[in-house]
Amino acid sequence: MTGTEAMTVAPTDLRTAREALADTTGTVEVRGAGTATSWAGAQEPADIVLDTGKLTGVLAYNPADMTVAVRAGTPLLELQAELAEQGQRVAFDPARVASGATVGGLVATADSGPLALAHGSMRDLVIGATVVLADGTVARTGGHVIKNVAGYDLAKLLHGSYGCFGLLAEIVLRLHPVAAATATVRLDCGLNTAAEHARTVLASAFEPVALEWAEGILLTRVEGTEAGCETRAGRLAELLGGSVLPEQEALAAWKRHAALVDEAVVRIGCRPSRLPGILAASGGTAVAGLGTGIGTTAVPPEAVGAVHDAVTAVGGTSVTRRRSRSPGRAWGQRPSALRTLRDLRAALDPGGRLCRGRFDNWFTDEQSAPEFTEEATS
Amino acid sequence: MLDAEVLHAFSSAVGAANVVSDPVRLRSYECDGLTGFKQVPSLVLLPLDTASVAAAVTVCHRYGIPFVARGAGTGLSGGALPVADGVVISLQRLREVVEVDPVDRIAVVQPGVTNLDITKATAQYGLYYAPDPSSQQVCTIGGNVAENSGGAHCLKYGFTTNHVLSMTVVLPDGEVVTLGGDTGEQLGPDLRGVFIGSEGTLGIACDITVRLLTVPETVRTLLADFPSVTAAGEVVSDIIAAGIVPAAVEMMDNLAIEAAEKAVGAGYTLTTPAALVVELDGPAAECGNQFEQVKAICDRHGCTRLHIAKDAGERAKIWQGRKAAFAAVGRISPDYIVQDGVVPRTRLAEVLGRIEAMGNAAGLRVANVFHAGDGNLHPLVLFDADAGESERAENLSKDITELCVELGGSLSGEHGIGTDKACSMPRMFGEDDLAVMDRVRAGFDADKLSNPGKLLPTPRLCGEKPGRYRPHPLEEAGVIERL
Repeated sequence: MTGTEAMTVAPTDLRTAREALADTTGTVEVRGAGTATSWAGAQEPADIVLDTGKLTGVLAYNPADMTVAVRAGTPLLELQAELAEQGQRVAFDPARVASGATVGGLVATADSGPLALAHGSMRDLVIGATVVLADGTVARTGGHVIKNVAGYDLAKLLHGSYGCFGLLAEIVLRLHPVAAATATVRLDCGLNTAAEHARTVLASAFEPVALEWAEGILLTRVEGTEAGCETRAGRLAELLGGSVLPEQEALAAWKRHAALVDEAVVRIGCRPSRLPGILAASGGTAVAGLGTGIGTTAVPPEAVGAVHDAVTAVGGTSVTRRRSRSPGRAWGQRPSALRTLRDLRAALDPGGRLCRGRFDNWFTDEQSAPEFTEEATS
Repeated sequence: MLDAEVLHAFSSAVGAANVVSDPVRLRSYECDGLTGFKQVPSLVLLPLDTASVAAAVTVCHRYGIPFVARGAGTGLSGGALPVADGVVISLQRLREVVEVDPVDRIAVVQPGVTNLDITKATAQYGLYYAPDPSSQQVCTIGGNVAENSGGAHCLKYGFTTNHVLSMTVVLPDGEVVTLGGDTGEQLGPDLRGVFIGSEGTLGIACDITVRLLTVPETVRTLLADFPSVTAAGEVVSDIIAAGIVPAAVEMMDNLAIEAAEKAVGAGYTLTTPAALVVELDGPAAECGNQFEQVKAICDRHGCTRLHIAKDAGERAKIWQGRKAAFAAVGRISPDYIVQDGVVPRTRLAEVLGRIEAMGNAAGLRVANVFHAGDGNLHPLVLFDADAGESERAENLSKDITELCVELGGSLSGEHGIGTDKACSMPRMFGEDDLAVMDRVRAGFDADKLSNPGKLLPTPRLCGEKPGRYRPHPLEEAGVIERL
């Protein structure tokens, strides 16, 4: 790159976000709260840092329609506080929200938390977006209604794109009511036993919204009416031989769970039945979403490649979440539609301005990215 | 016409016995559920597996021949309308449920499997496939993927895009790739999400992996009559405001009720101005509690009759009436157009009032039956073609969808843009928005061979009026040809 200090631009609205790209040249790093800087491939040094720290605020909140439009740099934690006043929420709870992760960053990195079991990830909650492409073109997709099949869903394309396809400037989300009550059942057991219990719970009518194992503890959360939750949690505890946690203990248990996810080195997605084996083989401290098939593991840097290979071998996906200084692959299996991804990038960002390096060597023009070294693949 | 070399290539790709070239048989493929647009294809191919779909598409790519994938042909927006000098690749013979994995709660199915057959294949494990278009007995999962189909239960459970985990896709140059993965976890940009709902313009989905849900413990359904559409709309708002997410909330106005009752005899009240079907599902205790709340809300808004389904049979009857409503309208009008638009839920009363006024101004009746919980309208514009009302009906239908956009909604909630509404897309999207969509299209299909002329407006034909097909003045003059 240039070797000179990068220029920082901090747009405050769509107009200035457009100008930040339309009126500049050179490579660009999009930076939000910085909570996922160490994830995936390393951002190459760029000419411009586009800081979304001031691209914040609610644009339109329609409680009766249960939709909200926000600028993408808005921290989700702040948004949740505002929505909670109306008894609503974004049904989404990744670990790093507590550290100030922004709405745009959470979409761009395809993150999700335990609630994904019931509500999916941001891709399932984003109903509209306004994006700015590398050349300053502003494009709107979706809208303010939850049911909408007019045109291509560009928000999906940006989901998981790590900023490579465009800047998410504004995002429209569908909301859910805050549940009247929640209850968590705890069972101390090993991962394999937990997986067996998870199957029983999922096959039953308990409708858990989260089902996670971490450090020898299986946590199952239900949501609903106060009486309903109490009844269901009681029956669940009986079925599993566990106990219903008092509210404060439940909060502490989930906080501990989030801390473990935050410390993880590799994030994995595979068929739920294959997850325990993969995590056990990784040898690291593991967190397992036994209904979602999404897990994380904290392993030493030299073990990352082996985890990627093992996950790829069972058809799963994996991405490094805590890059070390030692070189290694950021991503596990390459998508089979890699050519299409490259063609899309060429169509949307022909100069390859945006967020170079985040996808390792997926995009051919970045094979010399500093963090990349060739490793054996399975 | 396709020359002998191309014909030979197609025969080699899918097998000579699976090529339809007989003019009479070809006519069966000239349109989908939107019968106003018709175009006989040059050839229909009936591949038996993914490999032969890919082989057929490879031939199309090699010779620059446009292709249109087709499932059961139940689409209502002309999405499967053939292209002149193009081929139809019918997926009706790819009907195998490849795998049901009750442990991981997924099923892998071929694109020609009907929506309802997925649930039938998984019911033995206490599982089901949630998205449920009204045509679920006949529409195929491949078509559902193309249109991102929804249905009555999507308010709570989401749409096709929320339930398809991955797909084997034949790209427009014949390459076979997998989009998505075994879980909802995303590896890089979500190509699966862009592909679902792309109306066949980005390639052809073959093996489709869907996630399955556990059958809920309880289902409670009620049918409630109201003195006005407004009162029924207020009930919907109050249910949502109470923090209740029903499995389904459907509304029908008097005309729709009249039609459905004549067809099915579901026990609807013929004289009521509006009726709601509300369904709750979930754990028994909570479901019962919320059901009482819903009943109280109905009472508060002047409910004139509340019928609670006593058993599965009665529940099925209520739904049979609702799901038959479109077709049933044929009993009260010689012709009708099914429209599909969305408004924010809070604008329901306003949009219905304006639709009524527009209908009166046009001298035409409009029946309304719709997914009230998510604001997805299905106005049915009734007319008599023999009385010369066709053009008025088409214009009214178009004006209603564009009104939805004006009120902050969308041109389509589930039927797609297809051929029918491509020309209305500039009402909803700006030039740059559409140009970016075109760039996305180019990323998948640089030659624009996959279902061309659908979804995105084709400028050279946008001079014609939406609605039933009639030749464009330039077509009549021989200046242009229809794609």
